Amino acid sequence: MTSLATPLPPARGYFRQELRLALRGRAVAAVLALAAALTLLSLANGLALVARQERAIAEARDGQADYLSAEAAKYGAAGSAGTAGYATWHLTWDPPGPLAFVAPGQRELRPTVLRVRLLGLQAQLYESEPVNPELALAGRFDFAFVATTLLPLLLLALLHDLVSREREAGRLRLLASLPGTGPGLWARRAAVPLGLLLAAVLLPFLAVALWAGAPLGGVLGIAAAVALYLAFWAGLALAVAALGRGSAANASLLLGLYVLLLLVLPAAANALVTRAVPAGQGVALALAQRQAVHEGWDLPKEETFRRFLREHPEWADTPPVTGRFHWKWYFAMQHAGDMAVAGEVAAYRSALLRRQALADRAGWLLPPVGVQALLHRAVGTDVDAQLAYQERVQAHHTALRRFWYPYLFEERPFTAADFARVPAYRPAPPPTRPAAGLWLAQALAALAALLAAAAALRRVDPSGGR
Amino acid sequence: MPSPTLAIARHELRTLSRSRGALAAAGTTLLLLLASALASLDLAAQAAESRARQQAEAERQWQAQPDRHPHRVIHFGTFVFQPLGPLAAIDPGITAHTGHSLFLEGHRQNSANFAEARQSSVLLRFGLPTPAFVLQALAPLLLVFLAFGSVAAERERGTLALLRAQGVPGRTLLAGKALAHGGVALALLLPLALAILLAAGGEAGALARGALMLPAYGAWLLAWSLGAILASALLPRARDALLTLLGAWILLVVVAPRLAPLAAEALHPAPSRLAAELAVAADLAKVGDPHDPNDPNFGPFRARVLAQHGVTDVEALPVNWGGLVSMEGERLQGEVFRRHMDAAQARERAQAATLDGAAWLAPALALRRLSMALAGTDLPGHQAFVRAAEEHRYAMVQALNALHVHKIRRQDDRAQRVGREHWLAMPAFHHAPPGPDWPALLPAAGALLLWLLLPLALLPLAGRRLDREARA
Repeated sequence: MTSLATPLPPARGYFRQELRLALRGRAVAAVLALAAALTLLSLANGLALVARQERAIAEARDGQADYLSAEAAKYGAAGSAGTAGYATWHLTWDPPGPLAFVAPGQRELRPTVLRVRLLGLQAQLYESEPVNPELALAGRFDFAFVATTLLPLLLLALLHDLVSREREAGRLRLLASLPGTGPGLWARRAAVPLGLLLAAVLLPFLAVALWAGAPLGGVLGIAAAVALYLAFWAGLALAVAALGRGSAANASLLLGLYVLLLLVLPAAANALVTRAVPAGQGVALALAQRQAVHEGWDLPKEETFRRFLREHPEWADTPPVTGRFHWKWYFAMQHAGDMAVAGEVAAYRSALLRRQALADRAGWLLPPVGVQALLHRAVGTDVDAQLAYQERVQAHHTALRRFWYPYLFEERPFTAADFARVPAYRPAPPPTRPAAGLWLAQALAALAALLAAAAALRRVDPSGGR
Repeated sequence: MPSPTLAIARHELRTLSRSRGALAAAGTTLLLLLASALASLDLAAQAAESRARQQAEAERQWQAQPDRHPHRVIHFGTFVFQPLGPLAAIDPGITAHTGHSLFLEGHRQNSANFAEARQSSVLLRFGLPTPAFVLQALAPLLLVFLAFGSVAAERERGTLALLRAQGVPGRTLLAGKALAHGGVALALLLPLALAILLAAGGEAGALARGALMLPAYGAWLLAWSLGAILASALLPRARDALLTLLGAWILLVVVAPRLAPLAAEALHPAPSRLAAELAVAADLAKVGDPHDPNDPNFGPFRARVLAQHGVTDVEALPVNWGGLVSMEGERLQGEVFRRHMDAAQARERAQAATLDGAAWLAPALALRRLSMALAGTDLPGHQAFVRAAEEHRYAMVQALNALHVHKIRRQDDRAQRVGREHWLAMPAFHHAPPGPDWPALLPAAGALLLWLLLPLALLPLAGRRLDREARA
């Protein structure tokens, strides 16, 4: 690190010269152009995905107003709160956050828009999006993918032969004999392509993100995460470049590290997490909920009310239902079914959170996993955001039930005017939980790699290595 | 086989076996292949066991139903689970991205829910260690690593000129190199074959389909080895060959499979879920309310039924009119569901066909298609499950409606029940996954073959160039 920070007297002149040298190399220019192009393509794709989701939300909200007035016309005249409650769908939606375009892939797999009825919520909450699985299989080409997977490769291509190309060209001794050389020379030589690559990626990113109206703080946070991640790879590349082996040997070794850190170990971690936390609870929950709701038909009605009143004691003095059917009993039964599976719901949620926590743990050790977790969290497309939306839907469902219950229990007519008073759904931006541990892990990984590189570069043998 | 070729191949293999780096890389890949096979077998066994347990639980819940009104049972419904074939352990394909459980009930067609992808953390993006993953993504890197210097390094050391001076033609040299590296590539099929044997577990059909994976993967691996030798022969330095081949790996294995879906979506855009739902709802509204025996939409049906029985009033029918309306309503709703399902599935297949088209440029997609189809973990397999589930749903609901028609009197309809022995007698869901749709796999097989023949055809040309190089 020190060697990177120590300025040599005529440093500016050297840098300018290095810059000229670097830009003259056609390979370097090609890599930089490729990095900028991939960045722009991924951002365009991410923005298009988010725009599609926003369009779906806008269409749904436009349609909902017409739908509700049609429902009011259809059921308002008869005034049956039960029929209206049974038939009417209520719209909820999960607006993408202002940074979602950075990593929109995970969002796509879950609903952006969910319509619910007053019936048992747990049978409605887990609807899936009709994504063609073959298209989703490889993962989305978004900025998170480009930054995590492709940029390290480009960086390795730029840095792997930093020392060896001079030796292979027979210039190493000459370089060593010049004044002002030493570790500082290599640091400057590395800093230029690294800086250029960061600029080729982050300048388009900043420009596009700010043009898209993303908040500056969040944008800078993402840029910082990407810079730290690339610093880790730069450190690794320089440490290997300084080992004194040939260019091809360096490239092979770095590629091996890349495969290990980006493909093998994360996949192994995924297998371990999947094995350790099987998420069959979702299906168990669906089975239990269906059973609980339908048992309600065969239970004595007093028993159903007894269960329902545990959560809604305000209706304790409602007269008992003696006939075969009453809407208040029907809706009480639906909700009692949800109440009966509270344990399964909690187990399912905690399984998802446990999987995320274990993935974060893997992210502390594996920078590629860590940076993915950081990015998905920073832009609100992680498991937290999914669960937060489910909570919001649940809160809205509760508000709707509480709005409807007086009509059902007091047998008040539900008129067209009442349709207009139905509580409105209020969306919220996805939550962003601080991720201090992940940040710290990224910073430490970058620092460690750069220190290792500095130590290795100090030992470069100008006489020609091995 | 001319013996100089064999001698060169033998020499190449001896050189490889003396390189610590080559041995380490090959050993690591073999180890990864075996470890991934074991891990994948274990995960697949866990998933299959969990599905079987859930299917048994759903059947237990179905059979444990008390005496009920048949229409209540229609709403109680049942859950069916997509069985996981034995070769899913070799290539899980789209398994993680599709829901494997479907809730079947009257009046509604539900989506397959609880896909692993929706329940996963960011680790989803890194995939799972499976034999398919190792052979499709990692093995090409190993083969590139072993072969990028096969010719170029000899050129840099000056041994290439020496060989030429001994009168070894370029073609023979390249044939020998191809023999050695091709042999290494094909040797990777041995652990795959072992994994297939373990996964198929004596099931003849699975074994046969697994055996067909071998030529597909063989062509893929061979193409990489030959391509690496070609790059090594054509490019002046080993380093150039390595960087070019790595670039090809990034483009063909990492980038192309992620860009091709963009084209598929642009060509065959899908409506949002809500738009699809509303389209179904609009068609269902035209059917009318089958819960209401007096719904005017069923007027023509009423006239037809009355005429059939030669009576003038539904009261005089020998069967339950409400049940008949329920049955006719389900028939019409079922048509709506099937029509929309067929359209959605056709669109998904059209998107998949676009990927097949892209496979001519990105052979990784071709191999993926063949591998998933043979493993029974591809889109057509899932679509067949969804169709079978819809058929089961329709048959179940109509059988229950028939009970309603014949066993429930019209007077005080909803207060009556039928005995639970009727649920016990209804058939459980059994889905035999269809085999691969062979003609549909031809484009993928063609694309893979093309990418194998391309380097094969270019190698003799590269050999002639080596000859010219030596003369120059």
